[in-house]
Amino acid sequence: MSDRTETVAEIRDLRVEIDGRAIVDGVHLRVRPGMVTALVGASGSGKTTTGLALLGEYPAGARVTGEVRLAEGGLVGYVPQHPAAVLNPARRVSALLDDIARPQVRALPPAERRAAARELVLRALSDAQLPDAKALLRRYPHQLSGGQQQRVVLAQALLLGARVVVADEPTTGQDALTKDRIVDQLAAVTARGIAVVLLSHDLDVVRALADEVLVMRAGRVVESGPVARLWRYPRHEWTRRLLDAQRAAPPDETRTGAGQPVLEVRHLTAVHGRTTVLRAPHLTLHPGECLAVMGRSGSGKTTLARCLAGLHRDHDGELLLDGTTLPRSLRHRSRAQLAAVQYVFQDTRAAFDEHRPVLDQVARTAVRLRGADERAAREEALTTLDSLGLAEEPAHRLPGELSGGELQRAALARALLAHPRVLICDEITSGLDTVTRRGILDLLAGLLRDRDDLSLVLITHDRETARIAHRVAVVDVGELAGEGRARQVLTP
Amino acid sequence: MRVSGLRSFVARRLLLGVAQTVAVVLLVFALTEALPGDAAVALAGDQPDPARIAAIREAMHLDRPAYERLADWAAGLARGDFGTSLASGRPVTQYIADGFGPTLLLAALTLALLIPAGFGLGVLAARHEGRLVDRLVSSATLAVYAVPEFALGVLLVTVFALKLAWLPPTAVGYGTDLLGHPAALVLPVLVLLSRPVCSLSRLVRAGMVDALASPYAAHTRRYGVPGARIRYAHALPNALAPAAQQLARTVDWLLCGVIVVEALFVIPGLGTVLLNAVAERDVPVVQGLAVVFGVLTVVLNLGADLVAHRLTPRAGVAA
Repeated sequence: MSDRTETVAEIRDLRVEIDGRAIVDGVHLRVRPGMVTALVGASGSGKTTTGLALLGEYPAGARVTGEVRLAEGGLVGYVPQHPAAVLNPARRVSALLDDIARPQVRALPPAERRAAARELVLRALSDAQLPDAKALLRRYPHQLSGGQQQRVVLAQALLLGARVVVADEPTTGQDALTKDRIVDQLAAVTARGIAVVLLSHDLDVVRALADEVLVMRAGRVVESGPVARLWRYPRHEWTRRLLDAQRAAPPDETRTGAGQPVLEVRHLTAVHGRTTVLRAPHLTLHPGECLAVMGRSGSGKTTLARCLAGLHRDHDGELLLDGTTLPRSLRHRSRAQLAAVQYVFQDTRAAFDEHRPVLDQVARTAVRLRGADERAAREEALTTLDSLGLAEEPAHRLPGELSGGELQRAALARALLAHPRVLICDEITSGLDTVTRRGILDLLAGLLRDRDDLSLVLITHDRETARIAHRVAVVDVGELAGEGRARQVLTP
Repeated sequence: MRVSGLRSFVARRLLLGVAQTVAVVLLVFALTEALPGDAAVALAGDQPDPARIAAIREAMHLDRPAYERLADWAAGLARGDFGTSLASGRPVTQYIADGFGPTLLLAALTLALLIPAGFGLGVLAARHEGRLVDRLVSSATLAVYAVPEFALGVLLVTVFALKLAWLPPTAVGYGTDLLGHPAALVLPVLVLLSRPVCSLSRLVRAGMVDALASPYAAHTRRYGVPGARIRYAHALPNALAPAAQQLARTVDWLLCGVIVVEALFVIPGLGTVLLNAVAERDVPVVQGLAVVFGVLTVVLNLGADLVAHRLTPRAGVAA
């Protein structure tokens, strides 16, 4: 137990300031070998800035005070939220691994170096639970799955001999099975005596992994302690809110629609090239109804959504909107048909033009799809944004200056300005922290309540998100595996 | 992309290239036909006696319809026969072979200097982005790029050959044996280098600035990879794809006869051959050169696309 008391990294009274605004303020953090220290909090609470401080990295133009101390030879590894971003697209997987290994074999005679370095690389990959490492080294990053990319980045940290690994939102946007794998993997890392600093808003994962939890809000640590104590007796109001926010309210069951469906899918078989990726013999959506389409990543649920929206036209099914056929491709749909089926994407940043203010882009929908004039469109955009909880001031800013949650609200407003009959939401809560996610889900439930003619299709892998739906359709390995009332499907 | 996909891409591109070369040849033939006068007029020289011109025309079969002459020539080409020059009666292949030596030598020398200079300057500027070195390199390359080849050529000849007399002003009298007189090559190579170095280094700089600012470059820095290795082994491959395409265009330009430079320094390369052939309305020579240039262009660009594909494996092939 004696090594548990030693510290491999320590942050003392860290304050990071940008333009006079503190984004991290007075943070203390002790990292012990083989332990998991979790930083939890909403996005923008200063988790990532604190985590990167351990790596000696700060945002550009930041004023830093306080102290970051690492133990002798204390190397720090980093596993970012999007591992693909730190893998060089033009080089094979082996490129950086070889470069990390090379200095470690410098003591050997030149003839033996190459073999010894390769040996180290292969061991690190197998430590990161990557089988068939030899073949993997010759691949390019885009040829790996998301899970493999993450493990390659972890292998880099292990090969470096890191004594601390900073993992930034490692489970965000992953399905339940993948999450379990990541938890096992990080647990295996700590079993080797390596400390893990987990930055996450995924409270299930934090609870499963963490030894010690620091709850952050607006750059400050509001509460910290062992995970069990914090979960049972949260002392701070904010911690309580964070824990409560996980559960969403089930929908109002009295208003599930009957009569003619607004959208009907018949005999849909979607293909990618020659591979069949989805079969959906029959699916209906009634006015005022919320249908959740659940399934693991790669199951075909997004393909279903893209077929409905006309973004994927390689299918031979029939789509009916209010009883009339909807052309397969977006290009052959009339303006009214385009307006009737709207889509909100998972990656909101990519769905906005970064050079134009958010308000302009939101208002544009009404002009393009409904022929509204500029002024009326802007006014309606402002009212809609306001009703979705986005004030006028941020609406005038550029997309890059808005948080993920704010941008998701803007994306919803943009779709609503078309006055759609069907709104398709593709994993729109998966990149958000629990509090923000709860806000968006409440918003969707409110939309269903207030707008009689609006129907929702929620594409999700998250049971909590699916709770706001009336009905759930489950997609598994490209087949519509079943559907039923949300209560029945979601009850374990 | 799978290997079979790559193979079918290459096959498709080669087929397209053949079609493009045929189109170029037809166009060149049509344009030379459209020029006033023909080889007979050019040969008749200073005494344009109509009877004499008609006689020459008949002897050279120029009185036959254009499509017959084209068909004959194309049939010969299928057998590997480029035909004979109207002006001298020598085989066209010999013209091309004679002109290719000096052109290839100039292109090879230029390229050997262009690649290290272009990439080196680009990487250097990107490394010091926004600082003095970058500003010096960027403004110098922009300034040089703005000077046309003939103006720079005349300037260099005036200063280094006529005023200082360090170097010969032209290659007159050396024939095709340019390697024996390296001093005559310095100025032409400098002129040929001037603009490609600028465009290449600016492209490399732009790509490198992006690559060095990327998260993957930050990751290599984080794990202690030395700076030079980050620049050349990790960042540069991401900046290479557009540069490779630009390089192919440059090589194409160099090999297809750099008329201005060859004329200025009197180098008997392909450009000079082309210029003389057009002046003499020597259609078989012009057409032979059009075929050679067409094939070179197709092959070089295909090569560049393959290199670009290797460097941006994610993008697949944009055929």
